[in-house]
Amino acid sequence: MRRRVVITGLGAITPLSHSVAELYQSQLEGRSGVGPIHWFDARAFPTKFAAQVKNFDLGRFVKDPERWINSGPNSQFAAAAAQQALADAELLHHSPVDRTGIGVYLGAGEGIQDFHNMIYQIARNYNSQTRAMNTVGFAKGGLESFHAGRESEQELHTTSSHLADYFDLQGPNYNCLTACAASSQAIGEATELIRHGDADIMLSGGAHTMIHPFGVTGFNLLTALSTFNEAPTKASRPFDLRRDGFVLGEGAGMLVLEELEHAKRRRAPIYAEMTGYGSTGDAFRITDSHPEGRGAIACIQGALTDSGLSASDIGYINAHGTSTQVNDKVETVAIKKVFGDGAYLVPVSSSKSMLGHLIAAAGAVELIISVMAIRQGVLPPTINYEVPDPECDLDYIPNEAREKRVRHVLSNSFGFGGQNVSLIVSRFEN
Amino acid sequence: MTSSERRAVVTGIGTVNPIGTDLGTCWDSLREGKSGIHTIQNFDPAGLPVRFAGEVVNFDAKQFVDKKDRKSLRMMARSIQLAVAAAQLALSDSQAQIDDLDPTRFGVEFGASLIASELEELGHASLVSANGQPGIVDLGKWGSQGLSNIPPLWMLKYLPNMLACHISIMHNAQGPNNTITESDVAGMLALGEAFRILRRNQADYFLVGGAESRINPLSMVRQCLFQPLSKRNEEPAKACRPFDRQRDGMVLGEGASVFMLEDLNHAQKRQAKIYGELVGFGAAFDRGLTGRGLARAIRAALSEAEIDPQDIDHINANGAGTIPGDVWEARGLHEVFGDCRPSVPVFAAKSYMGNLGAGSGPTEIVASLLALKHGQLPATLNYQEPDPACPVTVATGELRSISKPYFLKTGFTELGQCAAAVFRRWE
Repeated sequence: MRRRVVITGLGAITPLSHSVAELYQSQLEGRSGVGPIHWFDARAFPTKFAAQVKNFDLGRFVKDPERWINSGPNSQFAAAAAQQALADAELLHHSPVDRTGIGVYLGAGEGIQDFHNMIYQIARNYNSQTRAMNTVGFAKGGLESFHAGRESEQELHTTSSHLADYFDLQGPNYNCLTACAASSQAIGEATELIRHGDADIMLSGGAHTMIHPFGVTGFNLLTALSTFNEAPTKASRPFDLRRDGFVLGEGAGMLVLEELEHAKRRRAPIYAEMTGYGSTGDAFRITDSHPEGRGAIACIQGALTDSGLSASDIGYINAHGTSTQVNDKVETVAIKKVFGDGAYLVPVSSSKSMLGHLIAAAGAVELIISVMAIRQGVLPPTINYEVPDPECDLDYIPNEAREKRVRHVLSNSFGFGGQNVSLIVSRFEN
Repeated sequence: MTSSERRAVVTGIGTVNPIGTDLGTCWDSLREGKSGIHTIQNFDPAGLPVRFAGEVVNFDAKQFVDKKDRKSLRMMARSIQLAVAAAQLALSDSQAQIDDLDPTRFGVEFGASLIASELEELGHASLVSANGQPGIVDLGKWGSQGLSNIPPLWMLKYLPNMLACHISIMHNAQGPNNTITESDVAGMLALGEAFRILRRNQADYFLVGGAESRINPLSMVRQCLFQPLSKRNEEPAKACRPFDRQRDGMVLGEGASVFMLEDLNHAQKRQAKIYGELVGFGAAFDRGLTGRGLARAIRAALSEAEIDPQDIDHINANGAGTIPGDVWEARGLHEVFGDCRPSVPVFAAKSYMGNLGAGSGPTEIVASLLALKHGQLPATLNYQEPDPACPVTVATGELRSISKPYFLKTGFTELGQCAAAVFRRWE
């Protein structure tokens, strides 16, 4: 029999909260975390709002916040969420657990590029007639103006190494970046590392922000973001007919995954069990998901097969639900295909209606909400659901939380470029 | 069949690197001790303190991909183009027919890193938005006029997951798809993960590898600021000196390598040629860079392979040529191999091509798979003066006969992420 993996710690920093309890409570109350962008002056951008983390102070979570002084918010959010999750699992430094058996697998995003110095140096060295760069001038200017410490902290392996180093986690160390599926994929593969015996415990999750000039520029150019500037809190409206794009969010979600017998031996609190993981590629287009949901269907089925469950066992679906026209339609198609007539019986909601889209960190935070739904027996709603879309006709838990005891929850994450991940988390039963 | 009985073999290799874009040329360079490191040609490096690297000279992705895929090359930064080219080579080399493969059992796993924007694409937007004040951009102008002067798909050209995305689209690979971004060890971790997925019966074949190019103005400026790079501008081919006492830092390179990693049964059914079997993998974090974490990863890989240190023919080291990195690696190797008599020779492929970042692990593995195939281990270049702080036996001088069926590959990042893989010669 394969090793069972349970969840023994949770931590989150999100646009709605600095703790898991507060996150879940806000979700049940249907509060929106969206507002005008304050990290930079976005008034001239097509999209001027986002779901930002408020009043974040790393010093409230770690003793020496100056250690992260050159890090981007990705690593700072990660450190705070990891501290919560490890404290929750009673795994901070003083615990007697073998640190070489604890690994890290994140789906953490990049740090923030030095927009101002970079654009200034390009402007100085770009010839608009020849459309060519003076690379010698750019190199000299860049060497003088870029900050070495902040440049190195943009690299994609820094967050996972900070957590391993700071919290003394000496097991396997990974980071994946599969766009919006990243932290779900990290949790799925971390589960597999424990099942295989590569580690007994994995700290897993994601951290990201793309609420910066380059990030908003990139998504605005792709016309992927909502431009509901008049009413930002109404902008993220998954499955509603008037949805017009997603809303950028930011933050971190961290989970402690642990081999069941290991958790029992040390009497760790057990929140839930990881039971299913599926990963597929659309192999269709880099700009669009497959219109019939080919990859999404296969990954939901893969997660069900992995868990040994059938679709009718699933009591709640925490949707990817980005609030883009295409995603919500295709995800609905995929759910109908896998669940058949049962699709109309299973409640579905999108945490992104309140949190926005945390990109690489989205899946981890949404899995945490799923775990809390199993624990507390109340399902969070999809807010801003006002006008039904004939093509999205499932039960999206409109606007009000719903009491329902559930044993198994499916959480979907579909990445830009076609990586699909589905996770199934279950109530822990011995 | 239970997962533990499933075996993973390499049935195709594709590589695009500074010492060759086909296996024959790569082997000739290794056999002849020919370095691929020279003064940078891709752009004028005169403004940089480091002006040399391992480059893929005259790389033209169009020559590697199918006609139907050429249009999409415009949406790919150089790192992605290198990956796509190497993937096509690996698939061709495997002689697998796409129509015979089950797309849902066909996975893609890549190691990748940050990809720098081509500066010209931001040129016009920058000109209309910069105020002439150092380090300050007018965000009002950027938002209202700059943004519309950037290509609409700009961001997609630079996302690290796009290597695996494009490759899955080109070859209709609908199975598991992941992108690991752990810097210099990313490609090895991707290989290890594909190995695990294949063994647990969730895919039958993978295009798996890594790719990275930092030989462009923005990446080079950034790397010069925070990497311990060699400054031997006057003698580039002598600059990368793994474990040598006179080493003065890392040399950057660019390139991609991709394997067709296949379930043994499937490979045998289609009578594929087999380069070698991946038999063990381990990963760890070496906190404090003491060597103990690296040793743990190595022991895990040896244990999975069910062999002892003395069964290893040679160690294909990370060998980056940095002053602290080589000492750290030597400590880790010494902890596992210190008692082996005769000592196990250490080969460092970076001495030929520099550090290919996410592409380094897979490309260095190609060198050892070629060594197994030809029965000879190439020499590490530029190893002239042993460093007492690095107690390892470096393979140098003449080519040495391969005498045992296994080799070990090690890799790590300067921050402590480590991986180790054991391959076995196919017999």
